[in-house]
Amino acid sequence: MKTIPRLVAALVILLALAGAAAAQGDAKGKLQALKPKDYPTQPIEFVVVYPAGGGMDVTARLLAKYVEKYIDQRVIVANRTGGAGLIGHTYLATQARNDGYTVGILVNPFWAEDELVRAKGKWTIKDMTPLGFINYDPLTWVVTTDGALKDKSVKDIVALAKDKPGTVKIAIAPDGAFQFLAEAVEAATGAKLVKVPFQGGAPGITALVGNHVDIATGFLAEYRGHLDAGKVRPVAVAGQERSVFLPQIPTFNEGLGVKDIVWTAWRFAAVPKGVPDDRLRYLEAAIDTAMHDRELVEEYRKLGVIAGTQYLKGKETADEIDRFHQAHKEFLTKTGRIGR
Amino acid sequence: MDAAHHLISGFAVILTPANLYYCLLGSLVGTLVGVLPGIGPLAALSLLLPVTFNIPATSAMVMLSAIFYGAMYGGSTTSILVNIPGEAASVVTCLDGYQMAKAGRAGAALGIAAFGSFIAGTLSTIGLNLFSPVLVTAALSFGPPEYFALMTLGFVVTMFMVGGSTLKAILMIALGIFVSTVGMDVVNGVERFTFGAVNLTGGFDLVAVIMGTFGVSEILMNIERLARGEVVRGKIRGLFPTRREWRDSALPILRGSGLGFALGILPGGGPVTASFVSYAVERKISRHPEKFGTGVIEGVAGPEAANNAAVAGAMIPMLSLGLPSNAVTALLLGALIIHGVQPGPLLMTQHPDIFWGVIASMYLGNVILLVLNLPLIGIWVQFLRIPYRILFPLILLLAVVGTYAANLNIFDVWVMIGFGVGGYLLVKLGYELGPFILALVLGPMFEQTLRQSLIMSSQSVLIFVTRPITAAILALCAAVAVLFLRAEWMKKRESP
Repeated sequence: MKTIPRLVAALVILLALAGAAAAQGDAKGKLQALKPKDYPTQPIEFVVVYPAGGGMDVTARLLAKYVEKYIDQRVIVANRTGGAGLIGHTYLATQARNDGYTVGILVNPFWAEDELVRAKGKWTIKDMTPLGFINYDPLTWVVTTDGALKDKSVKDIVALAKDKPGTVKIAIAPDGAFQFLAEAVEAATGAKLVKVPFQGGAPGITALVGNHVDIATGFLAEYRGHLDAGKVRPVAVAGQERSVFLPQIPTFNEGLGVKDIVWTAWRFAAVPKGVPDDRLRYLEAAIDTAMHDRELVEEYRKLGVIAGTQYLKGKETADEIDRFHQAHKEFLTKTGRIGR
Repeated sequence: MDAAHHLISGFAVILTPANLYYCLLGSLVGTLVGVLPGIGPLAALSLLLPVTFNIPATSAMVMLSAIFYGAMYGGSTTSILVNIPGEAASVVTCLDGYQMAKAGRAGAALGIAAFGSFIAGTLSTIGLNLFSPVLVTAALSFGPPEYFALMTLGFVVTMFMVGGSTLKAILMIALGIFVSTVGMDVVNGVERFTFGAVNLTGGFDLVAVIMGTFGVSEILMNIERLARGEVVRGKIRGLFPTRREWRDSALPILRGSGLGFALGILPGGGPVTASFVSYAVERKISRHPEKFGTGVIEGVAGPEAANNAAVAGAMIPMLSLGLPSNAVTALLLGALIIHGVQPGPLLMTQHPDIFWGVIASMYLGNVILLVLNLPLIGIWVQFLRIPYRILFPLILLLAVVGTYAANLNIFDVWVMIGFGVGGYLLVKLGYELGPFILALVLGPMFEQTLRQSLIMSSQSVLIFVTRPITAAILALCAAVAVLFLRAEWMKKRESP
C-alpha cells in the first residue's frame, strides 16, 4: 500500500524539478543574498488548519509550489484540521517549533475570531509573527434572477427588510463572517433579516437557486457556475473596493452609503514567534518573491480570489492584522459575543 | 440526446490513464475484499478513505465506487468455493452455490454469478444514468423542510429494515445522532459535550469514527472466530454457462436486477437486503421450490444479480440528492465532503466530471470485473490461504496510519480505537452498526434542516404540513411505521 507521505514526497520532488528547470535567475539571485548559511536544510512545512481541497488548502499549495521555485528546498503542506480550525491554531501558537521550518497559512477573520472567542487565553495572535499577505476574497450577497428580489439593488433589499421585518430570508453560515456581514448590515441600517444557517456558502447557494431563501452569502468560487449560467446575480461585495471579477457590482459601502462594512477572507503567512531574525527575513523575502510571480497571481485569479493588487511585507501585514483584531474585538463586544 | 451527450463527456473523464487506473485498482481491491471473509466493502472503504485524500475527487469517487461493486463480484467466489460468505450480500449465495460446487459444478456457479452480476450491474447503471438527472431536476424544489422529511423517512425505514430488534435499531440511530452532536452546534456555534477539550470542539472526526466502528471492530470480530472452511479443491472448469443454465437463469437475473435496483434506492435498503429478498422471491415463484438449497442455479443467479443492481440503485439518492440510503453510500458521501465537494442536487451541474465520470466508470468497471475475474479466480483462491495472523495486523496498521495521516492528530487514533472497541461490544450485544453510521452522517443535516425549517417559519411546526412534498413524505413515514408495527404485532400474536 502506498503511504501518503511517499506520494507527497514524490509529487514534491517532481514539482521541485519543474521549478528548478524554470529558473527565475534574477529574483532568485536577490533572494539568495538573504539566505542564511545553515537554513533551510530540510523541507519547510506549511500548516493549513482546514481540510485538503478547500480554499485555504489550495491557497497554501499554490504558494508552496511557487516558494519552492525560488528556494531550492521542498515545501510540504500539512493539514492539521479539526475543531473548525481551533486545533491547528492552538498547535501553531503553542506547540509548533520556531526554527523556521513551520509556517502557518492563516486567514482572518477566523484567526482573530478564534483568539477572541475560543482560545480562552491559552494563546494570542501575538504568538505568531506575520510574514506577508497572500490573497483575499470578499464575501458577496447574491439573489436569483427569477426570485422576488431579481431586480432589486442592495439598498432596495435593505429597505424592504426594514419595512417588513422577517420577510427577507438570508442564508448564512453561523458565527463567522457570513453572519457578521448580515449583522453589520442590520446594525447599520435597522433592517431585520431572517438568518437561516447553513454549513458554509455552497449549501446556502443551493437553497437560493431553489428559491427557499431570498439572499445567499458566498464567495465567488461558490456561485460562479450559477453566475455564468445566468441563474444568480450578485448585489453587493463586502470588500474595501470593487472586486476585479465583478467590476459592475457595488461594494456594500457604496450601495448603502456607509463606510465600514468589509468582510473578506484575508489570507496570510506567519511563523511561531521567536524565529531567528535571518531566517525570518529569508522566509519573508521568499514569500514576497513568490507573490510577485505573475504565474502565481494568475493561478489565484483562476480560483476567483484576488491577489497581486497589493503586496504587504511582514510588518505591514502585522499592522493590518492588529487593526482588524481591534475592530473585530469591538464588533464582538457590541454584538454581545464576548464580555467587555 | 442530452443524457447521451453527458455520458460521452463522462467517458471522456474516465478514459484517461489515471482514472482508468483507479477504476481498475478499485475493481481489484473490491474483488479482493469481497473474496476475503471478514472484510466487506464498508470496512475496506473506511480503511482506504484516507488514501484517497491526495488524489482528485473524481478519481477517488471512481475508485471507491469500484470497490463497492467489485466486492459484490468477489463475495460470491468465497461463498461458492468455501461456504463462507465473502461479504454479507453473498450470504444467500452459499446456500445453492456451495452445493453446486460440491456437485462438481463450481465453474457454472462462478460463471453465472459473474455474468449475472455483469448483466444486473449494467442494466442498473443504465437505470442510474436515466433516472438521476430526472431526480436532480425535481430536487431543486427541495428546501430544508423537504430534506428533513426525507431523512425522517430514511430513519423510519432503517428502523424496520435492518432486521432484528426495532428497539435496538432505534437505540443505534439515537446513539449515532448523539455522537454527531458532540462539538460545535450547527446553528449557533455553541460547544456541546466537549467538556472544554480542544480536540472535541469540532466533534469526533468522521473518518476516525467510521474506521473504528467498521474497520477495527471487524478485525476484532475476526480474531475471535478464526475458524475457516475448506476450499473446494480440483480444477474449476466450465465457467461459461451452458444454454440450459442460461435458460434457467435469465429470468432470475432480470428479476434480481429490478428488485435490487428498487431496494437499493430505498433508504435503509442495499445489497444485503436485495440478495435475501431475491432469493426468497425466486424460491416462492419456482416450480420446484423444494430443490432450493440443493444446488439450483436460480438460487445463485437471482441474488448475485440483485446485490449488484442494488449498488447502482443506492448511488441514485447519493449522487442526485446528496442523501445516502445505506452505510456504504454514507461513506461515499463523506468522501465527497472530505474532498471539498458539496453533495446535493447541484453536484450534477457544478461537478459534472464527478457525476458523469462515476456513472461512466460503473459501465466500464462492470466490464473490467467480468473480463478480469473469471480468468483470475485461481489467484483469488490463493488469497483465501493467507493466514489471518498476517492479514489482520497489516490491516490494523493501515488503519492507524490512515487515521493519523488524515489530520495529523494522534487524538483521532484514540477515537478510532475507542469506537472500534465500542463497535465490537455493540455487535456482540446484537446491535447493528449500519443505523449508527447512517445516523452519524445524517445527524448534523437532520438537526440543521429541522432548525432551518423552524427559523424559516418563525418557529411554527405547521411548515411541515403546509408544504405539499414535506407533508406527503411525512405521511409516508407514518404509513411505513404503521405497516411494520402491525406486521410485528401480528407475528407476536401468532407465536405467543
